[in-house]
Amino acid sequence: MAQQADGRIEIRGLARRFGAKVALEPLDLDVEPGRVTGLLGPNGSGKSTLMRCLIGLVPPDSGSARVDGVELSGDGTAIRRRCTYSPGEIALYGELTGEQHLDWFLRGREREARTRARELANAFELPLARRVHTYSHGMKRQLMFAAALAPRVRVRILDEPSEGLDPQKRSTMIQLLERDVAAGTTVLLSSHHLGEVDRMCSTFVFLSGGKKISVGSASEIASRARRLVRVSWPAGVTLAPLAARVRSAQASVRGGRLVAELSSDDPRPFLAELAGWPDVPAPLAIDYGQTSLEELYRDLYGVEEAC
Amino acid sequence: MGRALHSIFWRAVGFLVVLELMLAPAILYFPEFKKHTQSLRAMAPLPVLRNVIDTLEAGGVFAYVAGQHFFKGCNTLGTAAAVLFACGAVAGEVHRGTFEIWLARPISRRRMLTERWLQGAAAVTIPVLLSTLTIPWLLGFVEQSLPLWPLILCALHQSALLVAVYSLTFFLSTLARAPMGIAFVMLFFTVLQFSIYLVENVTHFSLFRLTDVERFLYIQQHGTFEWSKLLPLLAISALAYIASLVAFSRRTP
Repeated sequence: MAQQADGRIEIRGLARRFGAKVALEPLDLDVEPGRVTGLLGPNGSGKSTLMRCLIGLVPPDSGSARVDGVELSGDGTAIRRRCTYSPGEIALYGELTGEQHLDWFLRGREREARTRARELANAFELPLARRVHTYSHGMKRQLMFAAALAPRVRVRILDEPSEGLDPQKRSTMIQLLERDVAAGTTVLLSSHHLGEVDRMCSTFVFLSGGKKISVGSASEIASRARRLVRVSWPAGVTLAPLAARVRSAQASVRGGRLVAELSSDDPRPFLAELAGWPDVPAPLAIDYGQTSLEELYRDLYGVEEAC
Repeated sequence: MGRALHSIFWRAVGFLVVLELMLAPAILYFPEFKKHTQSLRAMAPLPVLRNVIDTLEAGGVFAYVAGQHFFKGCNTLGTAAAVLFACGAVAGEVHRGTFEIWLARPISRRRMLTERWLQGAAAVTIPVLLSTLTIPWLLGFVEQSLPLWPLILCALHQSALLVAVYSLTFFLSTLARAPMGIAFVMLFFTVLQFSIYLVENVTHFSLFRLTDVERFLYIQQHGTFEWSKLLPLLAISALAYIASLVAFSRRTP
């Protein structure tokens, strides 16, 4: 039953297991219409499973979802008519030409979608008359992106749409997506390219081990990032006991540094506490208020580099 | 033409050409067969084969054509074609990694699977029907003639067996990942069925009992299907198709 067809995505308690492996723990999420929401997390965090559940490729074990006012039910055909999906893994029919592939992808869509798909493919300078087995990885990705962006729908679910693209094509893709979102489309995308997510997304959802570990708007993330203080000491200083001594903030050791999350924007109580440790060598560096999304991602997942 | 339809069309054309290449020499050989029936009977290594030759001799040109085209050509080449057309229907998409993009389009799974099943079933049955239509014309070269209608009924009966084998293979394809594995299993099954047919004590357990020369002679003599043999074949196809729908609805990328 279609309700509130405004491009909103509502997820309530959606969960999925594959045998003993929990792919998605019961998850609640609201994706606001007309914005780009980024799903972030390392491989195996549940991003792709969430997207596949949303469009009915993987039936959830429990929970419900509504996309553009349509409840997820049956095999999800009703939802797939209201949105487009670009999968993360690329496998195409090599014997088809790019043009034939677009027609194949867009079966069941409005006739004009094929014209728009060709225009989008031309924007990427794709040789549509050539068979797809001669395409590079990036060209295949662009073809799938063109097919996902062409239909007139309110919601697009894109699993790593820019993976394998060179910087120029990535920039073209972002421009096309921004233009689409400016026209009111809702986009849920996953990406490992944090710079691109930082540029496009207004909301970030961090997943790990099938669990939602953090959600925030860009301003909330920025505000949270402003409260992070990273302190580096010379090699040989044991950080764990230091983190346990901190009283004015939540402190932990991540990436070889002591990371303190302050309770307010004022760092002075924490710095004063730090200054009151005469038995500890002076820090090498203190970073404060300049946390990028990438650094936040590292802090959340405790990894040196985004996967 | 759609991608799957394009592929199945050329397979069907190939199947038709090979069927025709088997049928034409067999019909042109008919005068020689009539002349040397007793010698052939003496050379037959198994009692079941001697019985087949007796049936062909007693049934005249109709029995000979049914034996050559349906029992020999369609039962051997046709079942192989049915297995090969069906084994990759779903497993082929999984194997090549295109399963997800196949499912991601705004088309229901029931429709996707039904379209694919129908395309393959048509590719198995249409060549049998078309090649059967050429039989009266080919018989003209050996100064023989047969009415077309009983031959069409026989072709439909034969097609029911091929669709049953096709549907069983199709069902396995909705469960498995490797099309070649399915093909080996089903080809082994059909070869085993043929072997059983040739062994006198167990011949009645063979699937090919449902499409041997005696069945086609019944159709010729009565001018209608032998329903007790046809209905089990149709039931196998229907059950396998329903099982395929259930399995496919649960399949995830």
